[in-house]
Amino acid sequence: MITTTRRTRGMRGWLAGGTFIVTLLWGTSFAHGQKSTEQYIPIGKSPGLSGKYTSIGLLTAVDARTRAISVADSAGPKTLRITDTTRIWLDRSKLKKSNISGSFADLVKGRRVEVKYAAPDRRDVAEWVKVEVAQP
Amino acid sequence: MPGHSSAARARRVPKPRFLAALLVASTGLAAIAACQPKPLDPKAALIARGRDLFFNETFGGNGRTCGTCHRQEENLTLTPAFIATLPKDDPLFVAEFVPALAQNFENPRLMREFGLIKENLDGFDSLATRFTMRGIPHTLALGTSVQSPAGPRTGWSGDGAPADGSLRSFAVGAVIQHFTKTLDRVADVDFRLPTDEELDALEAFQLSLGRQADLQLPLPLKGVVAQRGQAIFMDNAVGKCNICHSNAGATTSLGGNNIGNTNFNTGVEDLPDQPARLTGELVPRDDGFRTPGDSTFNTPPLVEAADTGPFFHNNSVETIEGAVAFYSGPAFNRSPSGRFLASTDPKKVGIQLDATQTVQVAAFLRVINGLENIRQALADLEEVEGLGFFERARGRELLERANHETDDGIQVLAGGGLHPEAVTELVKARELTRRAAGSLFNRRGYTGDAKAAQARARARLIQEAP
Repeated sequence: MITTTRRTRGMRGWLAGGTFIVTLLWGTSFAHGQKSTEQYIPIGKSPGLSGKYTSIGLLTAVDARTRAISVADSAGPKTLRITDTTRIWLDRSKLKKSNISGSFADLVKGRRVEVKYAAPDRRDVAEWVKVEVAQP
Repeated sequence: MPGHSSAARARRVPKPRFLAALLVASTGLAAIAACQPKPLDPKAALIARGRDLFFNETFGGNGRTCGTCHRQEENLTLTPAFIATLPKDDPLFVAEFVPALAQNFENPRLMREFGLIKENLDGFDSLATRFTMRGIPHTLALGTSVQSPAGPRTGWSGDGAPADGSLRSFAVGAVIQHFTKTLDRVADVDFRLPTDEELDALEAFQLSLGRQADLQLPLPLKGVVAQRGQAIFMDNAVGKCNICHSNAGATTSLGGNNIGNTNFNTGVEDLPDQPARLTGELVPRDDGFRTPGDSTFNTPPLVEAADTGPFFHNNSVETIEGAVAFYSGPAFNRSPSGRFLASTDPKKVGIQLDATQTVQVAAFLRVINGLENIRQALADLEEVEGLGFFERARGRELLERANHETDDGIQVLAGGGLHPEAVTELVKARELTRRAAGSLFNRRGYTGDAKAAQARARARLIQEAP
């Protein structure tokens, strides 16, 4: 009887733990790319991402109130939301300068950007934005 | 008539000689053709290209290659003992002789004393204070260890690659982090990024390294100590090792289902007296996966563990026995993973192995590492046997690798006082392999003898299938 109770408790533990881990895993079902070195990859050069899970094109609209941007990429216009966790980087590689962190204020209409979707099924939220800085 | 006859004979005499010469020449040409390198199939050619890139390509950077840290002769990692043998101008030490990299690129003291490399996983904004110091993980058996339901897990914390996070993209992040000429890290100025073709080749090469499949435990081991270690390893009520290191690999098995490579917070960062911190050098707490991190690190394969220490992401434990002992200590048992294991235990205990049991599990890990050394050495020796006479360079490379494996096999077994007869056979195999490397005409003979010695060593460790 005691053994059965212990077994049941053990089974419950395993089940809870298993569920916890599986939930944790499936909660991040999009491969996680490291952000720190991503900053230094010029627009369009991220292997496996650029053009597939990103939009590349000119910024056609920036709404500071809703924190939304519109990008005209080759497949048509896309609107994405900038969240508190969205990283914004200035791609200065054409100027032969180091890429640096930027801010929402750097999202200026007419600038060329690359925007990564938060997830394949969340293409309306930006995980990161690279803004091309082509002039000093 | 005699004159005619003589003239006719004179005309006929060269004919047989000419035919004989022709025969000798054609036989010689056929032999030479047979000795020529065979053309590689597309996959083998891609792997060969990847190998060349891995060990020789600097990507226009500071002189480092992937092989600068992932040394062929060091199981594709680096130890302080090996670092001590390198010349001062080895590209590993660029921070010591390139002024632009003198500050905040590496910590030469921690590199030389503990084999630690600086990584800016949480960003490059505060180079002096925001970094991690990590050991160099080997790149063996990646095909069995990288995949998870949440996508690929590369590097110590599973987030080693930028872009899509895949092994293919890993080289891009490595070039940016480690190959740069200056801390500006400007593409096409401080380095060039690998092309798609190069990434394909590098990935193919890395996936070709080491084991291509997981073991199927339990193995019919011969030594009683390793046998007991295996039993403890697999017992989910005692060692509990097989839960997170299924079949001594890098994947987690829960309720009979393998869920791939998984990240855990095992409390390594909570170990007291971590060697690197004893120096007084700044070693910030490593927060693991993501930014900010969740304190988890991914699970490394164990088959290759015994000859690839020091252990854990921060090289904090030198010996395999110490690494096994970690799981019976408070740092692990108080960690989220330790508490989870305890929660599943009927007695609510995590892992509590005694000294004998700890050494037995380590002995098991030493023996399966030794078996993997023998497997790899045999594979290399077999490839040598299939090479043409003129494929000397490839032959030397394979024989050299076979001997590194053999050396490792000797060390992991002898270091644990295990299977002295097998060690004796491995010493013979090493000598025969050396002879094969130096022999012009009997390479195949010595190689065959070395294979036989390796097979005898293996037979001392494990019962062969009938």
